[in-house]
Amino acid sequence: MNKQTLLRLTILFFLALPLSGFAQEAADIFRAVGTPHNPRVRIAFNQYYTSDGLAALGQKIAEAHPDLVRRQSIGKSTQGQDIWLLAITDYNSGDPNRKPAFYVDGNIHSNEVQGAEICIYTAWYLTEGFRDITYVKNMLKDRIFYIVPTINPDARDEFFKGANTASSPRAGMIALDDDSDGQFDEDLYDDLDGDGSITQMWRESEYGDFIRDPKDPRRMVSIEPDDVITAQRYEYLGQEGLDNDGDGRINEDTYGYYDPNRDWGWKWQPDYVQRGAYKYPFSAPENRAVSDFVKAHPNIAGAQSYHNSGGMILRGPGAEEDVSTYNRADIRIYDAIGEKGEELIPGYRYLTVYKDLYSVFGGELDWFYGGRGIYTFTNELFTSYAYYKESGRNPDTRYKAEKDLLLGDAFTPWSEYDHPQYGKIIIGGFKKNFGRATPGFLLEEECHRNMVFTFYHAFHMPHLSIAEIKEKDLGSGLREITAIVQNDRLMPTHSSQDLKYKIERPDYISIEGVEVIAGMIVENEDFNVTTEQKVEPEKLRVDNIPGNDVVKIRWIVKGRGKATITVDSAKGGYHSQTQE
Amino acid sequence: MNVRLILCLGGLLLGMSPFNGTAQSDYRSAEQLSADLQALAGQHSQLVQIQSLTQTPGGHDIWALSLSNGPAENHPGLAIVGGVDGSHLLSVELAAQLAKDILENHPEWLEKTTFYIFPNMNPDATEQYFKNLKYERRGNGTATDEDRDGRLDEDPFEDLNGDGLITMMRIEDPTGSYIALEEEPRIMVKANPDQGQTGKYRLLTEGRDNDQDGAFNEDGPGGVSFNRNLTYNFPYFTPGSGEHPVSQKETRALLDFLYEQWNLYGILTFGPANNLSSPLKYNRTEANKRVVTSILQEDADLNALLSKEYNKIISDDNVPPSVTEGGGFFEWSYFHFGRLAMSTPGWWPPKPASDSTQAKTSNREANFLRWAEQNDMDNPFVEWTPVEHPDFPNQKVEVGGFAPYKMYNPPYAMMGSVVEKHSQFLQEVVDMQATLELINLKTEKLGEGLTRITVDLHNAGLLPTHTQMGDRSRWLQKIKVHLNLAEGQQLLSGQAHQLFERIGADDSRQLTWLIRGSGTIALSAGAPHTGVETLSIKL
Repeated sequence: MNKQTLLRLTILFFLALPLSGFAQEAADIFRAVGTPHNPRVRIAFNQYYTSDGLAALGQKIAEAHPDLVRRQSIGKSTQGQDIWLLAITDYNSGDPNRKPAFYVDGNIHSNEVQGAEICIYTAWYLTEGFRDITYVKNMLKDRIFYIVPTINPDARDEFFKGANTASSPRAGMIALDDDSDGQFDEDLYDDLDGDGSITQMWRESEYGDFIRDPKDPRRMVSIEPDDVITAQRYEYLGQEGLDNDGDGRINEDTYGYYDPNRDWGWKWQPDYVQRGAYKYPFSAPENRAVSDFVKAHPNIAGAQSYHNSGGMILRGPGAEEDVSTYNRADIRIYDAIGEKGEELIPGYRYLTVYKDLYSVFGGELDWFYGGRGIYTFTNELFTSYAYYKESGRNPDTRYKAEKDLLLGDAFTPWSEYDHPQYGKIIIGGFKKNFGRATPGFLLEEECHRNMVFTFYHAFHMPHLSIAEIKEKDLGSGLREITAIVQNDRLMPTHSSQDLKYKIERPDYISIEGVEVIAGMIVENEDFNVTTEQKVEPEKLRVDNIPGNDVVKIRWIVKGRGKATITVDSAKGGYHSQTQE
Repeated sequence: MNVRLILCLGGLLLGMSPFNGTAQSDYRSAEQLSADLQALAGQHSQLVQIQSLTQTPGGHDIWALSLSNGPAENHPGLAIVGGVDGSHLLSVELAAQLAKDILENHPEWLEKTTFYIFPNMNPDATEQYFKNLKYERRGNGTATDEDRDGRLDEDPFEDLNGDGLITMMRIEDPTGSYIALEEEPRIMVKANPDQGQTGKYRLLTEGRDNDQDGAFNEDGPGGVSFNRNLTYNFPYFTPGSGEHPVSQKETRALLDFLYEQWNLYGILTFGPANNLSSPLKYNRTEANKRVVTSILQEDADLNALLSKEYNKIISDDNVPPSVTEGGGFFEWSYFHFGRLAMSTPGWWPPKPASDSTQAKTSNREANFLRWAEQNDMDNPFVEWTPVEHPDFPNQKVEVGGFAPYKMYNPPYAMMGSVVEKHSQFLQEVVDMQATLELINLKTEKLGEGLTRITVDLHNAGLLPTHTQMGDRSRWLQKIKVHLNLAEGQQLLSGQAHQLFERIGADDSRQLTWLIRGSGTIALSAGAPHTGVETLSIKL
């Protein structure tokens, strides 16, 4: 036994220790359908994890499943944290770098945290489900998943640990000068009541426009013109904070501000066109790391990014000015997947960014599609639909849910505070983990439903095979070999955006083992309409292999020997077959 | 002796010896320029800082010179950028020689202005001039797939006639659309069927169709062109642009540097775009769109003023049209960076002297050829000579045409006067620079220890403190007025901190405060790119 084997055995022994612990418990557990049973790695999906927490989970998953996971850092964040990626596939089957790939990330907006947990859930499900869920096994046989739970680790931690609202920070941690006064991030929020959340500041005022709701002390309600007011009036002073720089304004230069999702390289526009752009495309180091990875992995055919909130499945274009980028053929594919998503995630609506949300440039999904030709969705996770499984916006819902479903855990009661600028005020309101982040008891469901949506998307990436090789004797030692290359899924090997700009190289269909006289693409087999490729006929260059369709190619060859046909497609993989 | 004459003499000296004592007779290679810049910085170490921003994919340094008297950030800054287009060798010389000119002849400018000089943004491309095979290269050393066919650099030029130059080839072919220009038959022009002309030649760049894809020399070595790699109107998926804006190290390095220079108010670019010979025109519709594609109105007026000054020094006679192809640096410097943006090629061939033996022509190339021959330019044209071409086995193929570089770059002996004229223009810009002053101070005693202070913040310069575009940009700070109250002083009216947007040329803002207390009070006003004025006020 050499040293290395000994080492491996030792590691296995220690790995097996906790496993045996679970195995004993397994006898006491009955399988819930649809969930990996008796997993090697146990993870609670009713809580959130810091960037270190996510990194540790990724590492555990990778160590427990060495045949399914490769873990790598794709770059460093602004503050020097690693941006971890899990590359998940069946490493015992095929060349992992040539499998059609599905890219997933979360948390580009710092406060929009739960995408990371969905990523971890997805990685966990793929690895733990591989053993006994056939769907997963098949998926990992010919697809690879690139999963980056957080592409914004610094500001994720800041959201958890710092003084924040449910909506801050949205930016990363590069300090900028929002009020153009030469100072950077000099007037952040201040957690005056020490509850860990930035809530609201109110003050009793004879002339205020609000009163406290006599039936719900949490609520401030506005006074209508005809109301006769006998109760104490209040005025709203804004979010919790001080005038830290003495310029007569409160909280006017908080984190950033730049928006990491205005930083991508398709039709990028500067800050004055739409607030949030930083210096130039990929000027945020986290985004550059993603972009470098994506450019180096042309096998990525589908992608997903997670935001919150509102319950939306979004496609581009992000900007109204970019409408012409999305043509009918590609929209049909987006529609098919997006509409399936509405079915899989009740309460979510399939929408288009520029017309249903806002019209902005430089978004991640715009670059993935416009700049790389990759079909990409952004999900805005969590909607208040989830509380009572009913649609419609009712302002009372969150107050009801906070009281009855969350048992009052999401609201900091009003308390008095002596404010250096405002005098005697009260502070209170909803906590930062309420409203956008999914409540614990709903999180696993949110994870699962969004994950199966990405599986549907990933399933429909190009799936190529050489369906048939036909041969005809032309006499005088010549043969005509016709191959049918099939793509039996929805997506083509090149989206129409890709075809328009030739973003990815053509697919190569080549023949070996015979002497090639001529090669051609068969446009119409019945009427023998063909297009000959005069140069290098043994390696036919095909612009595209459409979804749910076939491509027919033909060679005139000399001599005997069995032909081997190979399809080599950046997004469709590498497949080879020899004549029988 | 008047100032202009001294300048002229200075220019003559410059022409003879750009940086060192020996006479320079041709443009300088990257290696030579690096050495000269280091030497220059060494000679003026009190006034110059030199640093390499990055190394290009081809392994060349991108040099940045900061010329300042005292800390660079203490004065408003002007950037000068050369080598924006790899075929404009003169732009590198212009930027580099202006650095020397400022240090040796105008150190007084540095008392109010800091200069950031980037002589060559694309040394990978300009080096082609010094290679055995010369062609007008614009791409850097990044290997790119220009025709996006999955093969890198598979169809370069070939020097078919062995003269060390890549020129053109004409193939006698009725399917071609070119004919010889009547008044100068060496020059090929497109036939116009509407005027009864039919094409007789195909006109292609010199070389073979190595990959047999029907396109000639469409995918040679390199690269990305700096002047197509910026964010404004980026030409997606076109040769030389890069996979996305600012994809190249040198582009990123320069922008990262510039975004940190809060004192920078203007950028002078030497490249194919020209808003100095004729100013950019305002277009209301384009200026009012969300994505702005016209210069803004106030900036158009400012551009017209600068252009007027430029034309007084450098005649717009025979000036070629301004070239903007998308992704350009000059356009970025205005539309996306909001700075006072100026750009000129610096030189272009003048019209030839009229010659009664030749028919007049409106063809620019024919006129250039005549001017070049009148001025004894070294081999501006390669005469058409037949070659055997394997791609055209049964056709007559001739190689010839304009020698590369000649049309954009003056004979080196002329550089001195080009530099001298641009030094004069720089003098004008420095003189026009926005200059804040706190004037007309009035202190009124209201009794009971109350004083009302009134003071005017005046821009005495001919340039505004911010361009109109700069007012929109987060990358220019606002003018900060700060009243620093001492112990025991109380502000009864007015704000201690105030921020102001653009103050136009010769425009002012009145400031007023009501203060209780005694002693002196300190007032400051300004921004890094305007300079900060201070005033001590006695209550």
